[in-house]
Amino acid sequence: MQAPDGSLLSILTGVDLNVNSGEAVALLGASGSGKSTLLGLLAGLDEPTAGKIALLGKEMTNLGEDARARLRLGQVGFVFQSFQLLPGMTAFENVALPLKLCRVHNRKQQAEQLLDAVGLTGRADHLPRQLSGGEQQRVALARAFAGDPRILFADEPTGNLDPETGQQIIDLMFSLRDRCATALVLVTHDEQLASRCNRICRLEHGKLMSAG
Amino acid sequence: MPLPSSLHRVWRNKALLILMTALVIAVTALTSVAFFVDRVDKAMLLQGSALMAADLLVQQGDAAPSAWERQASSLGLETSRQVLFPSVIFHQDKPVLVQVKAVDGDYPLRGKLLVATEQGMVSTAPAPGHAYASPSLYRALGIGRGGIHVPLGKLLLKAQGEVKQEPDMGGSLFQFAPQLMMNYEDIPASGLLTPASRAQYRFLVAGPADAVERMRRWLASRLPPGAKIMGMENARPEMRMALERGRRFLQLAALCASLLSGIAIMLAARQYVAQAMDGVAVMRTLGMSAAQVLKYHLHELLLVFVLGSLLGIAAGYLGQQALYVLVGDWFGEQLPMPGWRSAGLGFTYALILLCGFSLPALWRIRHIAPLRVLRRDLEPLKVSGWLSWGTATVVFAALVIWQVQDWRLAAALLSLIAVVILLVTVFGWMMIFLLKPFRGKAGGVGIGIAALTRNPGLTLWQLLGFTMGITMLLLLALVRVDLLETWQDSLPVQVPNHFLINIQPGEQMSLQRWFDEHGVKHSGMYATARGRLIQLDGQPLDVNQFEDERARHLLAREFSLGFSDRLQSDNKVVAGAHWKFSPGRPGGFSVEAKLAETLGIQVGSLLTFDVAGQRLRAEVINLRSVAWDSFNVNFFIQGNAGLMADLPAAYISSLYLDEHNTALVVRKLAQDYPSISLLDIRPMLQRVRGIMDKGALAVESVFLFTLLAAALVTLSAVQISRKERAAEIAILRTLGAGRSLVTAAMLTEFGLLGIFSGFLGATLAAVAEQLIADHLFGLEAGLNVQLWLTGMVGGLLGLVLIGFLVMRSLLSTPPVHVLRSN
Repeated sequence: MQAPDGSLLSILTGVDLNVNSGEAVALLGASGSGKSTLLGLLAGLDEPTAGKIALLGKEMTNLGEDARARLRLGQVGFVFQSFQLLPGMTAFENVALPLKLCRVHNRKQQAEQLLDAVGLTGRADHLPRQLSGGEQQRVALARAFAGDPRILFADEPTGNLDPETGQQIIDLMFSLRDRCATALVLVTHDEQLASRCNRICRLEHGKLMSAG
Repeated sequence: MPLPSSLHRVWRNKALLILMTALVIAVTALTSVAFFVDRVDKAMLLQGSALMAADLLVQQGDAAPSAWERQASSLGLETSRQVLFPSVIFHQDKPVLVQVKAVDGDYPLRGKLLVATEQGMVSTAPAPGHAYASPSLYRALGIGRGGIHVPLGKLLLKAQGEVKQEPDMGGSLFQFAPQLMMNYEDIPASGLLTPASRAQYRFLVAGPADAVERMRRWLASRLPPGAKIMGMENARPEMRMALERGRRFLQLAALCASLLSGIAIMLAARQYVAQAMDGVAVMRTLGMSAAQVLKYHLHELLLVFVLGSLLGIAAGYLGQQALYVLVGDWFGEQLPMPGWRSAGLGFTYALILLCGFSLPALWRIRHIAPLRVLRRDLEPLKVSGWLSWGTATVVFAALVIWQVQDWRLAAALLSLIAVVILLVTVFGWMMIFLLKPFRGKAGGVGIGIAALTRNPGLTLWQLLGFTMGITMLLLLALVRVDLLETWQDSLPVQVPNHFLINIQPGEQMSLQRWFDEHGVKHSGMYATARGRLIQLDGQPLDVNQFEDERARHLLAREFSLGFSDRLQSDNKVVAGAHWKFSPGRPGGFSVEAKLAETLGIQVGSLLTFDVAGQRLRAEVINLRSVAWDSFNVNFFIQGNAGLMADLPAAYISSLYLDEHNTALVVRKLAQDYPSISLLDIRPMLQRVRGIMDKGALAVESVFLFTLLAAALVTLSAVQISRKERAAEIAILRTLGAGRSLVTAAMLTEFGLLGIFSGFLGATLAAVAEQLIADHLFGLEAGLNVQLWLTGMVGGLLGLVLIGFLVMRSLLSTPPVHVLRSN
């Protein structure tokens, strides 16, 4: 990235990270440490200026935007701090969207089951704006696990929620992950939340300090 | 995706709804105009047809074969026959030259015949054995209206009425003579017509436009030599010009509506893409390719297209019907029903507008990075301004050219768009630059100015929207009135309503005294002689060398040549030297530009006429345009006075006679100057005035849709910044700003935008007025300072009102809701 004075700004340097199948890894660090940038790179949402990244065993260096999208299709789930539900779609339609993209046949049934799993059966026809923050994040969780992804990327999933609701969301996320044996990359600055993962990677000023 | 759920999707998506509303209003405006213009157009054409008493007329030296009638009948057309010839009737042993017009029972096929009889007004053709006389014939016979017996050939006809209104009163002003109308069936019995007679037979056709067109084509290949087909294009030049100008006004109004609608769609599409960005980023993270994402949104756009066009066409139809209910009776007669072609146009308009004005913006969707889910500040690649505006301009140009089929009008409008973009951009940047130093000012004013300077792109879009809206409103509210008044003034109240012909050279002086004594105003006396054009540049002219029907017709007849050292005030020299002659200088001709084009005459061409056996030869000094609808004495070909020399010329003049003294003057003039013929052209004047008045009304009706489109542009421009504005107000209020501060900020922002847009709008409207008046209508428009005052005050008040309404809805939303939704 280029700084305002024209000099090159390094966001991440010398990061060497490997996430195993079914493993839960927490990326812990202060604001501006590069956590979200690393998550974006790992998920193939962004391209590194140097270095190599492989997702699900596939090297992404030479892959274009569309090829990386195809790689994610049906295999990668996301949960964001700001929920990122499609405002024009109901809770059910949001959850069914990834299933539809993968052309899953019994998507109606699967989406209903997922909504049931997050406790929102009765809110299936509601639009995001008609749901509370906690409920929106539950829908986002149900959407993230639709199609049984192999890896889930979560970016500060409780950042916009009160502690109690946040705790419920985290419990739900881990229980779904356990059920589906999905790998997890969780970006957070909450030590306690990070401790629920198999491994914690600390980032400071764009450098991976420990991967214990 | 099934239709109900697709509809549901459109219904739930606010941005799509806005886009669809823009399209619905655009299509409603365009189709309402198209439907209504179609009806008015048809009515105007009918009025034009009424001038020939038919939709199509064939004129020749022999009676039309019966096969023509059979063909017309098979096409579902009505027909009628006429024959015109000169004859002499004797009244009390006094011979009177008359023009006999024999018509059949179906006459007239178009327009209305009105005859005053002792039993009252009738509108049917004379029965066999009966005749109607023109007022001039009654005058020539020196009797009042009433039943007399007129000997004509072997017949004794009972003249039982005076013709008050006749749709096809003569082919030319100068072919008028007292007329006797009789029944076509009486012709054989009269014994007047032999194969060698100088008679003009007419075959009249009327019916649906497509059938008339088929008949025209069928006839074209079967016309005997010397025969000619006359359609609306051959109707009187003064009437044609009035119709043409009326149509141009309508087209102008329709174009304003379509241009504004396009801009509204452009603004709405921009808003749609802005709102879709977050969703697209999520879809991309879920694995959708750029093409899939685009397809998904194109599907939405397709839904918008189908729904928007259907709703727009339906509303357009209702809209024009409502207009018809409101103003239909002003048209005096039933307006014909609109054709379904306008509905087809509605779909095409919708497709063109949607593609041209929204696709460049939608294309950005392909470039939305999935990383936007993590970094919302990431904007997709901007579409090149050239591409966006270029596409819109090309599409709009195509729309304009296709709709009006007039390159000049299209070019004028497109130049206007280019000027608008340039002006708004330059002026917008200047405004931002000038305002920047004041953004740090404390209180609401500073916040309002900061809002304008923070996002120049957004400010420019809004400025464009408001400017266009104000330009169109000014153009239609003020300029329209100016132009219409100028147009209507081109036919002043005291326009000549009688023509005097056949004034002998020796009568000039005494007639002038007679006019002075009787207080009659006239337009001057013009020498005229009839001559046939026999050579062009020394080469003999042969009718057969011209393929153009009009050219052949012109060469086959004699021209009325005018002789004067000055041109009429409504003439404008378009090529060659100005018309200045002095005694001793060589003579020359001035030729009407369209006639010159038809016959291939240029400045410098040498014309030779045969005037009663004498040769008249001179160069063409200039070509000129003529305002035929001024009703002044005008000639297609005019020579300077010196050219006349020894030619057998007579004089012609036009007079204005008011209702009170007409009868007296006409009677006295007939007594004192029995050889001078007086032509009453009031019925024709009435028709031209009728077309002008109705044209003005139609334009005003179309204006309503333009007004709606301008309101939509304004709304879309406000909508663009609504989200940012809502967030800003929420933050200000969260930080403790009171209502008054927020109000001051909003009013400053909208007020400044209003004043600047008003100034720009007035400037553009003034430029447009000059262009339109000068280049399109051939009128001279003055500069109206009031335009700027109205523009700026109107802009200020209008936008402050809009700002107030926007602010009221935003202030009523709790800040927490706004912040949470962001």
